[in-house]
Amino acid sequence: MAFLLRRLVFYMAAFIAAATINFFLPRLMPGDPVRLMFSSAGAELPPESLAALKLTFGFVDGPLWQQYLTYLGSIFTGDLGRSIKYFPLPVTSVLGHALVWTVGLMGTATIISFALGTFLGIVAAWRRGSRFDVIVSVGAIFATSVPAVVTSLIVLFIFGFTLGWFPNGYAADPSLDPAFSFQYIGSIIYHGILPMITLCTVLIGGFTVTMRNNMINLLGEDYIVMARAKGLSDRHVMLWYAARNALLPTVSSLAIAIGTILGGSLVTEVVYNYPGLGNILYQAILARDYPVIQGQLLIMTATMLVANFIVDVSYVLLDPRLKGA
Amino acid sequence: MSEPLLSVKNLTIDYIGEEKDFRAVDDVSFDIAPGEVFGLAGESGCGKSTIAFAISRLHKPPALIRKGSRILLAGRDVLDLDPKALADFRWREVAMVFQSAMNSLNPVLRIEDQFYDVLRTHKGMTRAQARERAAEMLRLVDIPPDRMSNYPHQFSGGMRQRIVIAICMALNPKLVVMDEPTTALDVVVQREILQRINELRKEFGFSVLFITHDLGLMVQFCDRIGIMLAGKLVEQNEAAAIYKAPQHDYTKKLWASFPSLHGGVLS
Amino acid sequence: MKSLLRNRKALIGLVIILLIILMAIAAPLLTQYDPNARTGRPHQPPSMDHILGTTRIGQDVFARLIYGARTSLAVGFGAGLLITAVGTALGIISGYRGGKTDEVISFFTNMVLVVPNLPLLLVLAAFIGQASPLVIALILGATSWAWGARVTRAETLSVKQKDFVKSAEMMGEPQWRIMTFEIFPNVISIVGINFIGSVIFAIITEATLEFLGLGDPRAVSWGTMLYNAQKASALSVGAWWDILTPCFALAFLGIGMSLLNFAVDEIANPRLRTGNHLKRWSLLVRSGEGRL
Repeated sequence: MAFLLRRLVFYMAAFIAAATINFFLPRLMPGDPVRLMFSSAGAELPPESLAALKLTFGFVDGPLWQQYLTYLGSIFTGDLGRSIKYFPLPVTSVLGHALVWTVGLMGTATIISFALGTFLGIVAAWRRGSRFDVIVSVGAIFATSVPAVVTSLIVLFIFGFTLGWFPNGYAADPSLDPAFSFQYIGSIIYHGILPMITLCTVLIGGFTVTMRNNMINLLGEDYIVMARAKGLSDRHVMLWYAARNALLPTVSSLAIAIGTILGGSLVTEVVYNYPGLGNILYQAILARDYPVIQGQLLIMTATMLVANFIVDVSYVLLDPRLKGA
Repeated sequence: MSEPLLSVKNLTIDYIGEEKDFRAVDDVSFDIAPGEVFGLAGESGCGKSTIAFAISRLHKPPALIRKGSRILLAGRDVLDLDPKALADFRWREVAMVFQSAMNSLNPVLRIEDQFYDVLRTHKGMTRAQARERAAEMLRLVDIPPDRMSNYPHQFSGGMRQRIVIAICMALNPKLVVMDEPTTALDVVVQREILQRINELRKEFGFSVLFITHDLGLMVQFCDRIGIMLAGKLVEQNEAAAIYKAPQHDYTKKLWASFPSLHGGVLS
Repeated sequence: MKSLLRNRKALIGLVIILLIILMAIAAPLLTQYDPNARTGRPHQPPSMDHILGTTRIGQDVFARLIYGARTSLAVGFGAGLLITAVGTALGIISGYRGGKTDEVISFFTNMVLVVPNLPLLLVLAAFIGQASPLVIALILGATSWAWGARVTRAETLSVKQKDFVKSAEMMGEPQWRIMTFEIFPNVISIVGINFIGSVIFAIITEATLEFLGLGDPRAVSWGTMLYNAQKASALSVGAWWDILTPCFALAFLGIGMSLLNFAVDEIANPRLRTGNHLKRWSLLVRSGEGRL
């Protein structure tokens, strides 16, 4: 418990750090930070809206620390300002809506690729040096080393444009009304397949290699040898003795991988025109919509911290040595 | 000597290298009678653990047991067993205690689960039956049975090694191989564990293959002793003879490195 | 180095990387076109004149590919070097000094590790606006050192306990000397893995940032090639050569670097190696020379 509490405090600090970067960055740039942040708003914004926006980002009369506190204050009350491109929508609702799609896509892809990659890694390590091991290892190298943007473009080219098996963009058929219907959900799945294949391809290699290496490092342990000496079946030793223990370092490396997963899904969304955070962000960058660009850093950081916390909790659940601690 | 329980004949084991092989065990033969304690002594790397592994056929590539080698247990050649017979043979006939007390139990499984998996595999026991048997075995080694739901890290090194011994007893094996079972433990715990094994042996009648580099400890504990040097068995005799009248130069040298033990150890 | 050349993965990886480097250096000899000039009609498919076709504004794709390799390689290796230098220095200092220094550095390292990298880079690049490849390399160096710092620190902690470090301390050598001449050479394999990993990361990230429209669109690099091709909807209009060329170039370079990375990993960690001795072993078993 103490362990998890310590992690929570640390995550809080990390979140404030991200907010601090957001606060200082426009002020460190040459020129007037207000003009820099809201230049794209131009004459479109009514003056009172602009004033409210300035307040949110701490552009108040007063010393820097007061501005900083004002900014932190607005963040912790959930006010991330308003989007300039989609004015007057608040940044939280623009990003919150997109976050649902991103987390859905990213979460499903992470679970699928983690399960599949870990399984491939277990079997490859267990049949070390076999043809299966060679194919899986080399395949994993190839999959991990190709950038997400390249993988998504190639997958889109092959299955979307050349073969025409799957749609080339959007999360669902735009002619359908969002509803909890068989048709609409089916359309979501159909549209999600290519981005999902892409993300899984990008992620699976890393999980496979990590699990394989962790397994191989464990195979000489005495408890594995003893399990074999006990006459347990190969499968039992592989899963309950070797893999069960190798899973611990694999899960903790998952925490580090979350950043990569986020990055990968941002890019994938842009390529597939998927309405998640990545795509919103891409539009925001093109429009220089700074409140949205800044807001995404906070929301992404929060997402990453929540994901990290889930990993922490599952680590504690998986390792009996930590339960009492 | 009566019909031996274990008979190792011309055992030769190589570790295969890219160009040259390393001969870890070189034409070793010895017998162990039912109920006997046989010791294998020698410095680390002399091949004694390699022999222990071969008896339960635990080796993995690049280890290679050369043709002509035979390991007979109760008349059956272990090296000829098919996978199913081998799985059946392991632990039921030969149980093993490993070098590192801290590391032979799976850290993420409860003690009862580490009894249950072996009892289910070999005897088809249910969880409740296995728990009963585990309690019985733990009592033999003075571990309170109510602690079987704990994890290994909640026990001291000595207790863990006693738990391993309890797991060894679970199937009433004919032979228990002990590969440096007490190296990681302090002297008091060491003695306590060896005494316990001796009592259990008298009660259940299994044989012991005891492997250590500690010749002094071995003389107190074994009936007969073999001395190994660079993969060869250089001397083999009654424990008392090894102590009082060592034949081979190497045995004499080994004794010379235990000056403090002279006098009163065997009394 | 010798073991590196005997490893098949390493050899293939090195050949791929050297090929790309040679191509980048010899770019003016390999094409007569200026990568920025309009040398043909828009979106021409590959032909004898333009072996990889042309872009939407009629630039020669092959010329952009080989000149762009220069940028991608320079940013990759430059930023990789920077990331490794910062990470190694911080890792060794925090591991060796311990105490308060270590606490502060470790805290920052862990913090940087949980702030998602790409979103952070996006914010930085957005404020800088149309970042040139040099600026991208600099911000990569400033934000991506944390993983290297962490692993180098762990390695330093174990090297620090060794006798030669203790004896250097006894002889009163100054700390900076111990860190540079005693610790650094002994964590070199970690530094190597870190470097190769960082180069891969830098190449991928530069391309990604540029693809997302945060680079300088006039720069000639594989990332801007992707950006321009995507903006010109190259896939929908069927100009696959425009977009697949930088794709395959990036994939090829990535695979080369990764092969090298795995090979170094295998050499540093012998347990991961699957050597030729296993082949001999199977041969002996099959010929009945022995068994298990």
